[in-house]
Amino acid sequence: MRRHLVASIVMLVGLTVLLGFGYPLLVTGISYVFFRHQAEGSLIYRNGKLVGSALLGQSFTNSKGNPLPQYFQPRPSAAGTGYEGDSSGASNLGPNNPLLVGFVAGVNTVGLNGAPSARNPFATKADPVCVPVTAQGTPVTSPVPGQKYAKQSDGAYVCDPNTIPERAIAYRQFNGLPGSAKVPVDAVTASGSGLDPDISIANALDQASRVARVRHLPAAEVVALVHRETQGRELAFLGEPTVNVLELNLALGSLR
Amino acid sequence: MSTSGWEQLLFIVAVTAVAAPLLGRYLAAVFGGGKAPGDRIFLPVERLTYRALRIDPESSWTWRAYALAVLAFGLVSTLLLYLILRLQGHLPLNPTGAPDMPPLLSFNTAVSFITGTNWQAYEGETAASYLGQMAGLVVAQFTAAAVGLSVALAVVRGIAGPRRTVGNFWADLTRSLVRVFVPLSVIGALVMIGQGAVQTFRGFDTATTLAGGSQTVPGGPVASMEVIKLLGTNGGSFYGVGGAHPFENPTGFTNMWDLLLVIVLPFAIVFMFGRLIGLRRQALAIVAVMAAIFIGHTVVSMQAEVHGNPSMPASVSQLVTSTSPGGNLEGKETRFGPEGSALMTVGTMGTTAGATDSALDSYTPVGGAGAFVAILLGEISPGGDGGGLYAILVLALLSVFVAGLMVGRTPEFLGKKIRGPQMKLVLAYVLTIPVVVLVFGSASLVLHQGYSSILNPGFHGLSEVTYAYASVTNSNGSAFAGLAANTPWYNTTLGLAMLAGRFVPIVLALAIAGSLAGARVHARTRATLDTSGPTFAVFLFGVIVIVGGLIYFPMLILGPIGERFVG
Repeated sequence: MRRHLVASIVMLVGLTVLLGFGYPLLVTGISYVFFRHQAEGSLIYRNGKLVGSALLGQSFTNSKGNPLPQYFQPRPSAAGTGYEGDSSGASNLGPNNPLLVGFVAGVNTVGLNGAPSARNPFATKADPVCVPVTAQGTPVTSPVPGQKYAKQSDGAYVCDPNTIPERAIAYRQFNGLPGSAKVPVDAVTASGSGLDPDISIANALDQASRVARVRHLPAAEVVALVHRETQGRELAFLGEPTVNVLELNLALGSLR
Repeated sequence: MSTSGWEQLLFIVAVTAVAAPLLGRYLAAVFGGGKAPGDRIFLPVERLTYRALRIDPESSWTWRAYALAVLAFGLVSTLLLYLILRLQGHLPLNPTGAPDMPPLLSFNTAVSFITGTNWQAYEGETAASYLGQMAGLVVAQFTAAAVGLSVALAVVRGIAGPRRTVGNFWADLTRSLVRVFVPLSVIGALVMIGQGAVQTFRGFDTATTLAGGSQTVPGGPVASMEVIKLLGTNGGSFYGVGGAHPFENPTGFTNMWDLLLVIVLPFAIVFMFGRLIGLRRQALAIVAVMAAIFIGHTVVSMQAEVHGNPSMPASVSQLVTSTSPGGNLEGKETRFGPEGSALMTVGTMGTTAGATDSALDSYTPVGGAGAFVAILLGEISPGGDGGGLYAILVLALLSVFVAGLMVGRTPEFLGKKIRGPQMKLVLAYVLTIPVVVLVFGSASLVLHQGYSSILNPGFHGLSEVTYAYASVTNSNGSAFAGLAANTPWYNTTLGLAMLAGRFVPIVLALAIAGSLAGARVHARTRATLDTSGPTFAVFLFGVIVIVGGLIYFPMLILGPIGERFVG
């Protein structure tokens, strides 16, 4: 055993030097010769200042956190408060979690006392799967008798704005889409990294007329820009076609 | 499934079918004892290593000596990694200012990487220094992979070879690293960087976003870790979310490249086995079983994910169209889509990598069950580097024994008789992992320290806990990440489960090999059960499904199956 332990120590010291330092330095060195831009993070500079990375999604919101209508909007994000580069993360909400899909009848609905129920007692006219919130805005998924809820002026429950159904309502409103319009799934779901730089073409097209209106541009021109900025599948069949939100918004500035 | 889903799956199958036999031929040359390609470059490096270690690479050991060396190396590596993580805040190369890791988390992380599990209870961005990742975790990822391959070589020598000894651990370890893992890693990393993966020693940058806000842009030697995470079937990423992070897995191409890095080598190791024993049909039979299970669970998951979440409101379109990837996109990246995500994530679940590019916790019940089942079947589709081979060889011995009982003949595998002593070890091997999973899993469900970490309510919450133990005990390391696992209870019990799940099977597999080493090889007669034909492959498949299925069926009923049908 002692013989093995001594050999293990010698081996590990050697490997730590060679694999722990030599190997990453070698890879870094070669990549700086051939792929320097990529190795550094595909950074985008404008007027000499760092705007972000082509590979990292970023927020297009005002200081209050509201989306700015003159920009294409990325997907919802679970990275910190949204697109925080040092806290990548997904929501990890299960497919039937009320915080994700709301109180869906027959799946996860509960009554005012918290016991399973056939219908959603918190349903509102706009949102039949509404998840209520407390006065502080915390969603309530396990109601107890006597629980206080936030209410609107007409007595309806205030719904948790982060569920997919509520996001869909907000998306249609923000983009001036009719109530019957189907919302692209990527527009209302959070990505795996919370830093997804892309949206689907459908999502970009749904936003195009709103962006054109706010920027006083012809809608057709913005739609054409979306198609120009569309990145097809790799080798024509790997992955999905995407539109990079930061690059699209940067390109908007050069229109007109 | 959509056309592009089938195309991607077909691409993976086709590339593997070409690359794995070729790589297997190279491996057989390297480990077969004769001349091998690249001797001129690699031999001097190896000789230097042997001199430094003061060992004779030609001396061959008994299984006991081999197992002792593996354990000694594991012990020393764990201690060194523990020290690096505990002290990383005081060591150089820490531009992001990561603090020392606390003791229990360091224990969990050190064990996790030494065993090749790569369960990560810390967040890579903020809780691990560049030095800790580079010189600690990456070195462990290399050695864990090389140890797996070495043990497989020893097992093959014992089961099939003519000698009473099983080889030399230091020579196997050195050759695996010098001729397989390091050169392939350098190539693999450069491909990733060309596509956009990050490789820099820069710390956090602050960008002023287009809308006038600020955003932290992370850096780090990412690609050099990413490649051995995959190639070594480890699974531990530089950043918290792993392969979903655009800096690790930037395009639809890297997504498939990553999956190939994971699965080609374990398949190649089986082809190598066929050449080393001089019976290539035997390798084909095993590869067929592995491939059938791989395709089975990935297709089920891809189908479920592209079909979408049934609880989604009707106002949201989950249809696949030319302008939308559709499907269940919560926790998935747009550039991969639901099928690319499921193919990569669930495709690595039959190996010990468990590398993910999407959030498993948000998968549909059926999609998540695909990952779960791949792990519960013991990770033999195609398994870890080396680990996949010795695991399926043990199951093959079990199958031969069951088949022998059914027809009333003394069971034989590769001409050697399988008797009581071997079967006792085989059963101990098969039962080790279920015992660990079920004991720790049950304890977590009755103790407050266990169930208070659950994020999602109901059936799904049970899956979060049982998946964690199944994953770490099988050295997989993927998670239903909603579970808050950085607690004393989970850091300790998951750490113990990882140790048991890695080293007990290694010792048992070596013991089985040792008990067969030097045994008489009987000539094939008409009465010999053929273990290299389609009949045996189907039989082996059946034994794998029944063993895995029966042990875990109650757990699956209360987890994903309940969630699917009750909600």
